[in-house]
Amino acid sequence: MSTNVNRRRFRINPVLQKELKVKMRSWKAAILIGVYNLVLLLLTIFILKMTIANGAGVPTQSTIFGTYAFLVAAQFGLIALITPALTAGAVSGEREKQTLDILLSTTLNHGSIITGKLFASLSQVILLLISSIPVFSIIFLYGGIGFVQLIQVYLFFIVVAITLGSIGIFFSTYIKKSTAANVLTYAVVVFLGIGTLLISIFYVQMVIVPGNPNTPYEGTFWLFNLNPGLALVSLVADQFQEGAGRMFPGLNLTVQEGSLHLWHINVIFNICLSVLLLFLSAIKLNPVKRKLFKRSNG
Amino acid sequence: MLRIEKLYKNYGRFRAVDGLNLHIPKGEIFGFVGPNGAGKTTTMRIVCGLLDATSGKVYADGIDVINKPRELKRKIGYMPDFFGVYDDLKVMEYLEFYSSIYNITGSESKKVCQDLLELVDLSDKRDFYVDSLSRGMKQRLCLARSLVHNPDLLILDEPASGMDPRARIEMKEILRTLKSMGKTIIVSSHILPELAELCTAIGIIEKGRIVMSGTVEEITRKVYHAQTIRIRVIDKLDEAVRILQEYPDLDGVNRVSENEVEASFKGDEHFMNALLVRLIQQNIPVTAFNQLDGNLEDIFMKVTATGEEKQ
Repeated sequence: MSTNVNRRRFRINPVLQKELKVKMRSWKAAILIGVYNLVLLLLTIFILKMTIANGAGVPTQSTIFGTYAFLVAAQFGLIALITPALTAGAVSGEREKQTLDILLSTTLNHGSIITGKLFASLSQVILLLISSIPVFSIIFLYGGIGFVQLIQVYLFFIVVAITLGSIGIFFSTYIKKSTAANVLTYAVVVFLGIGTLLISIFYVQMVIVPGNPNTPYEGTFWLFNLNPGLALVSLVADQFQEGAGRMFPGLNLTVQEGSLHLWHINVIFNICLSVLLLFLSAIKLNPVKRKLFKRSNG
Repeated sequence: MLRIEKLYKNYGRFRAVDGLNLHIPKGEIFGFVGPNGAGKTTTMRIVCGLLDATSGKVYADGIDVINKPRELKRKIGYMPDFFGVYDDLKVMEYLEFYSSIYNITGSESKKVCQDLLELVDLSDKRDFYVDSLSRGMKQRLCLARSLVHNPDLLILDEPASGMDPRARIEMKEILRTLKSMGKTIIVSSHILPELAELCTAIGIIEKGRIVMSGTVEEITRKVYHAQTIRIRVIDKLDEAVRILQEYPDLDGVNRVSENEVEASFKGDEHFMNALLVRLIQQNIPVTAFNQLDGNLEDIFMKVTATGEEKQ
């Protein structure tokens, strides 16, 4: 009982440590990894067989690129599906289990609780990503895709996972019920993935170049930059060094040398959005925050 | 140890805490008593830095709750009225998780957690999942958790609610042990007789204000303006009554049975002693001579009813 609280400089976030211990020791984690990779493996085999069969039994450069692009898209879809589910209940779940007050009554700062929760949930996503590297490596057998390109895509996945996770954490902190937080998180994910695409297309068609479909809109409308799906297309197109050209009105994925590509802008946007959402979540979690604002207002 | 000055807390138009003042010296077990919605939990949550006050000052061991919340949290152990536990952790892991928050790690953490489990009598459950514990055990575990950083001040909101009588007695014993270790404890409860037994001081809160505070004896005196003495004799009850009636400090001498008499008095223990000596000198066969303790439940009803009448 005669304990003095140590003050060590470096330590693993206690929330992250606890969550990892709980999540990783159950069979659920192993089953999730197994099923995820099995789905990915079956898809790879299926696509490879299909494309090779279509190409007179010989894998061509475009067959390999097609398979790679399909695998990347499948992985992206799975991440977009899984990440919100893992994070949207992280803080609201603590509130529902009535463990949040106890956590807040400790010396743990609010930022640590938020980042601990986020990275504990993301650890599962990152584990899925890492565990899928061997499946992706099948592509290496045929050449055409390098290790650097794979790392590039994986880093992009991690940035997207952090962004989607931050959205989940944000709603989980601001909304008391996990169900509502889940719904809102998926709503924002759908907005980023489909909403930005549709709004941009309609806006360019109806407002910027109305009644003049043949008038080309040079460059890319700004809202397209927020779409992580299009950013992935832009990244993969860059990797093929082909440039996807003008996909939709107001979306030109072939950019001049020296200027930022869509996926560059999207990564910057994602990082900024994540930092902002995590910061707002940490503020919301602080029970005496309003007092601080009152003081600063004098 | 804890000083609260003019504390106010409003929820919109509703005032939950209304200018509450309180001083609790070090080493006390202070009982916080009040009806539901009186402001007990709100006050406790403000003291723990879990809720912002509308205005007022709260100092725990000289530390300002508003300005130095982290420093304060090192000194406070809090057990809420409703709490959850991480069911998927084992008992020892649960305590180790909280000790790691306070940077207590490795062998030191193991020793602290083991000591705490012994204190709350859960040593044999250290490798059990928290999920498998009974409610009483979970409450004891939560108490151990609140002690993991060796705080000076413990704030326990209804720590014995939902416990069976045995578990309540065990909890009371643990609190007494903690008092002997020099901890200051603030405890709220609806089980008033137990609070009266356990606490060194009581504060009765109603509508966000402390309406009365002090030791149970002091409050009894304030409420009833006098104390009651009960005397039992083998016989000669009439003579005993006659003697008692001779004393002007004794009020309302009443026979309560064939061999018992009660009287109110405003004197102190010297007066009681003199009275007993007199009865024995007069050959009254006294078999019991008791000062009746103030019943906290009656006091509580009387004080809170008075508050309502004032409205």
